[in-house]
This record gives sequence, structure tokens and C-alpha cells, in this order.
Amino acid sequence: MRRALSILGVLLLGAAVAWAAIALWDTTVPGDLKLPALDPADHFESGALREAESYTRFSIVVFLLAQVAAIAVLFVYVRRGPGLMRKSAAGPLGTGFFLGMVGTGLVWMAQLPFEIAELAWARDHDIVRTNYLELILGGWLGLGGRFVGVCVTLAVAMGLAKLVRNAWWVPAAIAFALVTLVLAFVAPLLLSGLEKPSPALRQAAERIAAKEGVHDVPLRVQPIRDLTPTPNAYAVGLGPTRKVVLWDTITFFPPREVRTAIAHEYGHQARHHILKEVIWYLLIALPSGLVLALVLRRRGGIARPEAIPLALLVFTLVSLAALPVRSAVSRHYEAEADWEALQVTRNPGAFAALFRDFARVGADDPDPPGWFHWLADDHPSALERIAMARAWAERNGKVVP
Amino acid sequence: MVQGVRIVVSDDLERSRLTVFFRLLLALPHLIVLGLVAGAAMILAPVAWLVALILGRLPEGLHDFYARVVVYGVHVYAYLYLGANPWPPFMGEGTYPVDVTIPPPERQSRWSIGFRLLLALPALLLSGALGAGSFTTSLSFYAVGLGAAPIVAFLAWFACLARGRMPRGLRDLLAYALGYGAQAAAYSLLLTPRYPDSHPALAEPAPLPPHPIALDAPEDDLRRMRLLVFLRLPLCTPHFVWLALWSVVAVPVVVVGWLAALITGRLPAALHRFLTALVRTQAQVNAYFSLASELYPGFTGGRALPVDVRVAPPEPQPRWTVLLRVILALPALFLAGAVNGAQTFAMFFGWFVALFLGRMPAGFRALQLYAVRYQAQLVGYLVLLTARYPFSGPGRQDR
Repeated sequence: MRRALSILGVLLLGAAVAWAAIALWDTTVPGDLKLPALDPADHFESGALREAESYTRFSIVVFLLAQVAAIAVLFVYVRRGPGLMRKSAAGPLGTGFFLGMVGTGLVWMAQLPFEIAELAWARDHDIVRTNYLELILGGWLGLGGRFVGVCVTLAVAMGLAKLVRNAWWVPAAIAFALVTLVLAFVAPLLLSGLEKPSPALRQAAERIAAKEGVHDVPLRVQPIRDLTPTPNAYAVGLGPTRKVVLWDTITFFPPREVRTAIAHEYGHQARHHILKEVIWYLLIALPSGLVLALVLRRRGGIARPEAIPLALLVFTLVSLAALPVRSAVSRHYEAEADWEALQVTRNPGAFAALFRDFARVGADDPDPPGWFHWLADDHPSALERIAMARAWAERNGKVVP
Repeated sequence: MVQGVRIVVSDDLERSRLTVFFRLLLALPHLIVLGLVAGAAMILAPVAWLVALILGRLPEGLHDFYARVVVYGVHVYAYLYLGANPWPPFMGEGTYPVDVTIPPPERQSRWSIGFRLLLALPALLLSGALGAGSFTTSLSFYAVGLGAAPIVAFLAWFACLARGRMPRGLRDLLAYALGYGAQAAAYSLLLTPRYPDSHPALAEPAPLPPHPIALDAPEDDLRRMRLLVFLRLPLCTPHFVWLALWSVVAVPVVVVGWLAALITGRLPAALHRFLTALVRTQAQVNAYFSLASELYPGFTGGRALPVDVRVAPPEPQPRWTVLLRVILALPALFLAGAVNGAQTFAMFFGWFVALFLGRMPAGFRALQLYAVRYQAQLVGYLVLLTARYPFSGPGRQDR
């Protein structure tokens, strides 16, 4: 009877997740919009295209090898990690933290060579200007922050497992989503060194924001060019902390392209994408937690410290399995922000030029391998974006870029 | 058998107030002579190094000269820093209440002679932190860090003038600092092939006086798992965050405890338990972070660990010491800064050694334990767990 009730509860929860996912998938991009098939060679110089393809190919290989290394290390850790319990006198909860942190540290160490290789590759292509010492020392010191996160996560999961036993994953997913919500709210307050934009840029941003129905969301410029020449912009915050941030590297682009980038980011704010992504986090965390709870039952549940190495492995595998979903959600909202930008600026030529420049300066493959795009790309490709600009232009009787 | 440089203390702690008052002036002639002799020793050093590299040992004449410089330096600084009472003999002649023995010349590995200055650098830095201090400079930055010895002397000057007696803890700490400095100098000057050992026991201190906050630290096998050594700082970060939050909560608790102790003459039992847990957790984390312990500590101080502090139950405290607790703790806080400096150096070098060898040097561990114990006693005194002042000297139990 109890088992049947549990199954029913899970099914109801699954239905709620599905319903919420469908509701969140709603977009302003017209459903009948057909993106034309484009040939990258028609839109990018052959030399730049070759370089971008080569750059992306290497990055993909490094990404995949890093995932394999992490999983391999965690497989070994599942067998040998519990032996480390004799090095802890911190009780079940503290020992769980300890094993969680050591496992996370091992994954960092296993992935470090690939990070170094990627940095070397990026430096070689003048994508970043950070040095190796910053990567290694910064990563090692940064482990402290990650370990605090591991401890908080395990405190919630292990604590709830003691309280509500096998159903811990439901309140845990909600708790983690709430933490994510709080982090999304405070993130802009933690950004340092942001500068006010020039008066012209500020006025442009205000006009764009008003057109998109966004109020009291300031534009800021982040000095970053000492670290990288690549352009970027992002929207952060929730409610009163919302901001749109431009890297100073993008402010050197032609004004019409800068306005497009601003319109794209205000599009994120107008469509509440940050809040929606937090809800998506909950929707993904729920089934992930269920899988974790089911697998860990064989080791006595997540409340037992000896189960933590296995928890890390399962978490990593589930996260990888959920990667295509997260990427698809992110691409979906990026596409919506693109559409909003086109609607506001009504300048598909500037839009296409912006993403051509993005691909050129960032050595981004404008048309990456389809399987990788599906697996891990969180933005539409440059070619997809140009295709959207063309589709928008055709619909609105503008010159096709 | 390689013999080491040893400090020998026969001082009776009695001090003449008159000579204490004028100590710096009285030490001036010795400081001038020592400066001249040390200068000559530095000029001769490249020659001595070359000769030692060829012969595989320091010739007897040079050995005697350098030994005298080291011994004389110990005498002069012991006098200057109030570690001893009599005016010292010139050039290290005769015996002195704080003395040092230098082993006779012996064969040394030429490799070790060749790279001696480089090898001695960590020991010299630690010796600076324990002794006179350090001076750091760059193009736009100057910093002077006082070592333990001048701080001891500063505090001892007032204590000796008031009581006509040197506090034993301060004298023992000074003897330890001078002993380590002598070892580092002897090693750098090729007098011995033995690497300086920071073990407080080498200064042959007396047993620690009874204290309501005592350190339990049995000897361990010193083996350290390299992975855990490498991750030690990040592993302790959650503890640091936790302790910072706990300390914030502890502030109002201490204020309430202070008011209660002022009225009743003792800390209420519940507050004593709460603050004891804080002090124990701090000490356990400090020991783990500094590699003095290999066992990951908990977050609540509830479990007894191999390296742990014992806190006695609440005891009556004189109300006037409760009232003035923060002011009374200032000298110990001042000294704790210097002890922390030495601990940080030992931690830094100990981390590299443990990472390479998979072992923590016993001397570094003992120095860490001394620092852990002193800091626990200081915090315990500050938060009213005890009315007993922290004992500043290293003791036999700090091992």
C-alpha cells in the first residue's frame, strides 16, 4: 500500500513537472518560424571559419576527455573513498562532508590537465590572457568555495534524509532551488568593478528597455579586456537587483551592434528568463534527486557517509545526462531574447553582423557539430542566429542580411 | 652520530630592576662588538664556503671562530631581550645562564655544503619569525614584521621592572627562539650538517604549569596522506566559515557571560559549555589545518580527538580580572601575533615537506602544537573560561 502510494506520488509529481515544463517552454518566437538552411561559407571568411572549426574541435575533445577523466576518477573513488573514513573524526555528517570534498578535489585534479590544455589553446588563439599560475592557484584556492558549497549541499541532503528518509530528494530539490533563487538575487550585488556606461550608451539602453517594457534595470560596463579580448554581455539579478552588464570588449563594436546586444540582454529581463531558469533547475533537480535516491538506497541512503562517493558519481552522471535538457532550455531562451532584440531594434543587418563578429573574435565555430550542439551548447550557433535574422527580415519586409 | 646545536638554560629568573631599566643602553657595547664580528664573519663566509666545499668540512680555526660568533650572539641577545641577568662576557667566553653548545667540526656532504644557503632559507625565515623579525621590501612596499623575541622583551621589560623577576613562560619562549636561531645560524655557517629542529623540547623547558585549558597531543607517527595535505586549505575552508559564523554568535554570549561573571563571580555552566565547544573546535581545526593532526575534525567540538584541548569545569574568578579581562589579555594578544607568525612559517614549509615526503617533521608539528595550545589558552582566557593567564612558553608536553 505504502509502495503504491509512493509510486502514485512520484507519478503525480512527474505530471506536475511535465505541466510546468510545458508552461515554461512558452515563447514569443513564432511557432511557424522556419529558419532557412545556410551555408557557413556564404557568411564567414574561409580562413576564420577554418580557425573557428579547428578551435572548437579541440575544445570539444578536451571537454569530452575531461568528463571521461572525472567519471573514471569517481569510479575509482567509489571503491576506495570509503576507506578514507578512518581519516575523519567528524561524525557521520562531517565525514560525509569530508568524503564529498575529497571527491570534488580529486575531480578537479583529474580535470586540471585538460583545463591547462584548454587554456594553452585559448591563449594560442588569443581568446584569454590569464596565465597558468592563475589557473592552477586560482583553481586550488577556489576549491575552498566549492567545498563550502559541497558541505551545504550535503548538509541539506543528509539532514533531510535523516528526517524524511527516502523522500529526502523532494524537499532537497526545493531547498536547492530556493538557494539558487537567493543566489540569483544576490549575484549582481557581488559583482565588483562595474562601471557606469557613457551617456550615449545609457540613453540607448533606456530607450531599448522602455520598448521592451523593462523599468529600473540599469546598464553597467564590466572592465575585462585585460583578461580577454572576446566580447560578451549578460543579464543578472531578480527584481530590484536586476542588471544588464556589457563587457567593455563589446563597447568597441559598431554602435548598432552594441544596441543589438543590449536589446538581447533586456530581452532576457523582459521575458523573466533568470526566474524561469531557476524553476527549470527545480524541474531538473527533482528527477535527478529521485535517481540519486534510488541508486543510493543500496548503500543505505545518502545519510550514510560511505554512500557519498557513489553519490558524487551518480550526481556527475545524472548531471551529464541532464546536460542536453539544460542546454536546450538555455538555447530556447537565448533564441527568444534574439527575437526580442530583432523586434526592438528592427535591424537584422546589425544583428547578423554582431554574431559574425562574436564568432570571429571568439573563434566560435558558427556551425558546430550537431551532436555537440545538442549535447552542450547553451546558445544558438552564429549560423542559427543569422538564419533567424533572415527569417525575421523576410517576415517584416526588410533587407535580408 | 650527528650532534646538534643545543641551548642550555641555567637562568634563575631573578632580574635586577636597575639593569633591566637600562638594558638596551647596557647592551650597546656588546651589540657594537657583535656587529663587527658578525660583519667579519659575513666577509669570510664565501671563503669558508669554498674551503668547506673542497675539504668536505669546515677547518678547525674557522669552525672555532664561527662557533664563537654564534655563542656570543646568543649571549648578547639573551641579555638584550632579558632572557638572562648578568652582563655577558665578550666573544662568548665562559659560561652564561642562556648558553649554547656547538658540536666539533665534522664531515659534511658536499652537496649539502654547495646548496647550504638555499637549504637554510626556510630555517632562516622561521628563525626570523621567532627571533628579531623580518623585513620585506619590493619596489613600492616595505614591511617590518616583529618576531617573537622583541615582543617578549617588550612585555618582559614591564614585568621585570614590576616584579624583579622574569616570567618563566616568556623566558622559556625566548630561550626556544634563541636556540632555534642558533641552530639556523650554525647550519647556515656550516658549523653542523644537522638541519635546525624547531622542536620546543630541544630547549629543554620545564613541564608546563597546570592550566585549566590543557592540550592533549600524544605523539603520532607523523605520516600524512599527500592528497589530504594538498587539499588541506580547501578542506578547512568550511570550518573557517563555520567558525566565523559561530564566533559572531559567541560575541553576545560572551557579553552575557561577562555580566553574569561580574555578578556571580563565575561563568554560568551553560555558557561555559557553549564556549568550551567553540574553543575546542577552534583548536582541533587549527591542529588539522597546520598538519599537527591527520584526523579531520568535526564542527561542534563534541568528540574527543587525539589532538584536543581539555577545559576544566567553571571555576570562581576574581571579579576585577573579569572586569578588566580584555585589557589584561592585551599582552597575550600581542604575543599571540608573533606566535602566529612563526606558526604560519612552519605551516607553510611543513606543507611542502609533508607533500614531498608524506611526513610531517616532528619539530614543525611540535611548534604547531605549542601555538595551538597557546591560542586555545588565550581564547579561553578572553571568553572567561578561565581566570588563569595563558602560559606563553613552550613546554615538554608540546610535542
